[in-house]
Amino acid sequence: MKLPRFFGKKRGHRRTGSQAWASFGEGLFHAVLLGAGVVFGGLLASGVAVPEWRINHDFPPTTCTVVAKGLERLAPAGSAAGGAVTWQPCLRVRYEAAGSRQESWTRPISAAPTTDRAAALTRLASWRLGETVPGWYDPADASHVVLERGYNWWMWLLALLLPGALLAFGGAGVARSVRRWGKSEERRAAPSRLSGLLHPLAGSPAQAPDHPGVPACDNHVNSPGTQLRYRLPIESPESWTLLGFGLFAVLWNAILILLVVGAGLDLLGGRTDWLLIGLLVPFACVGIGGIVVFLRGLVLATAVGTTQLEISAHPLHPGGAYDVLLAQGGSGLFTSLDVTLELEEQATFRQGTDTRTEKLVVWRQPVQSWRGLQLASGQRFEGRTVVSLPPTVMHSFASEHNYVRWSIVVRGAPARWPAFTRVFPVVVFPGTVGPGEPAAGHRTEATT
Amino acid sequence: MSQAGDNAGKGLRVLVQFCRADRRYEPLSALRVRYAIEGFADDHPRAVEHSVLWYTEGKGEEDLVVHFFERVTERSALPPAAASGTFATLLPPSPLSYEGVIVKVRWCVRVRVFFTGGRDFVSEYVFDVGRIPPARLPRGDDP
Repeated sequence: MKLPRFFGKKRGHRRTGSQAWASFGEGLFHAVLLGAGVVFGGLLASGVAVPEWRINHDFPPTTCTVVAKGLERLAPAGSAAGGAVTWQPCLRVRYEAAGSRQESWTRPISAAPTTDRAAALTRLASWRLGETVPGWYDPADASHVVLERGYNWWMWLLALLLPGALLAFGGAGVARSVRRWGKSEERRAAPSRLSGLLHPLAGSPAQAPDHPGVPACDNHVNSPGTQLRYRLPIESPESWTLLGFGLFAVLWNAILILLVVGAGLDLLGGRTDWLLIGLLVPFACVGIGGIVVFLRGLVLATAVGTTQLEISAHPLHPGGAYDVLLAQGGSGLFTSLDVTLELEEQATFRQGTDTRTEKLVVWRQPVQSWRGLQLASGQRFEGRTVVSLPPTVMHSFASEHNYVRWSIVVRGAPARWPAFTRVFPVVVFPGTVGPGEPAAGHRTEATT
Repeated sequence: MSQAGDNAGKGLRVLVQFCRADRRYEPLSALRVRYAIEGFADDHPRAVEHSVLWYTEGKGEEDLVVHFFERVTERSALPPAAASGTFATLLPPSPLSYEGVIVKVRWCVRVRVFFTGGRDFVSEYVFDVGRIPPARLPRGDDP
């Protein structure tokens, strides 16, 4: 008998390993989660759910008379001197249960334990000796009586949420491992009715109908253009960087403000914490630096003006020619404004415990360049050109870890501001020129 | 018919014939494959899986999608009772075969033989869908 191989080896760009051990490890992990879910679920059901359900369904009603009352002192186990002591109001009630008279202590649910003894006493005073209150007793143990019924929904939610999540995640994982065990790679990957159910979190990108491996382009055709058919969505890496700087500045300075308030209160109270003040100085420098970097990025992003791109048809096809309208806002002199058509490959891979993504532009075609544009405030530059695709280019491709992306890229160089790059992704379908594309020759128009 | 063979096992050989000599197919065209398994001794096949699939190769993690899959377990359709097997499928419109720089898309036929002793043997034969030329880096972008 040949045991599965523990260790993998590098073969070209691919790392091979033992599928059997991987499946076993994955199955074991999910089985542990499933087991934890069963144990937690059982404990919570027997400790919370079942007793509460019995009180509401099995306990017969009775009338209780309050004969004594007191505060129960609850001290944490093992805390002789320290630890918070809580106080629980308790009532001793007399009631009829199954034809016999019973008397026992009970804790009203509405009187929760509190560390405030005065508040517990006030709550206890709301019951008077000799007062009659409704109660429900346990038919299996008549000495157990409750004065209130109902469900603690928070407890139920917690009782169901954690074990439910463990049971669902672990159960789905175990079912997937059992389903995959002993099956070939192709059989596992073959589509089946259970695929969607057992892989609810599969990371495959949305695909175009009837075109496997081609990304969907719904997001590219839901915004009509002013002159051409569609306005393309912008993908600006600078915007995400700016958002990151903004979030950092907000979070860092929120913490800084809390520390400053704490130090200020100490100073007002006559105490000086030099260590805290010493730490505040570099913290404040970083906080101010974060705000400056964010504001600088914001000014740069907004001062240049917005860039819009409209296209006459979408999706694109190899061999097709498409009218494109570039609209650039802003004011002042633009040294250059270039439009290029680019094909980029993107690969995501694991390196140790990290997940890395590498991008590489493998094809670039200049479409149009404008030089020395003088933009007036309140007006925008509009330039029309034609984007042509060669007949034998790769279509857009998207799988879980690999992408081939097409995009129209606008690069601008304003005289007073740093250069900028704005990317407008497009989707190229395979096959010949589709309907709706203009059979136009190359032409260029520009207006400001 | 284009013929290819794989004898990576101990004397075991899988011979595959494609319906096109150049193994180059257009999208939506029919792919017909005949295969024969030879060279097995005492350990007889108990099942054969044949599939048409594409996978990615290159820098990223491998993605694999099966377009056509069939598992044959009837003794009458397996060697030694049947000398060869055939299958046919209509290829989808995409993805096309692509030889990129860090992303490659490859189409292939796989024949996997499961033996009564528990081991299995797989043979893979790459073919092309579409006619996309290999990608080349733009000048000045060499990594």
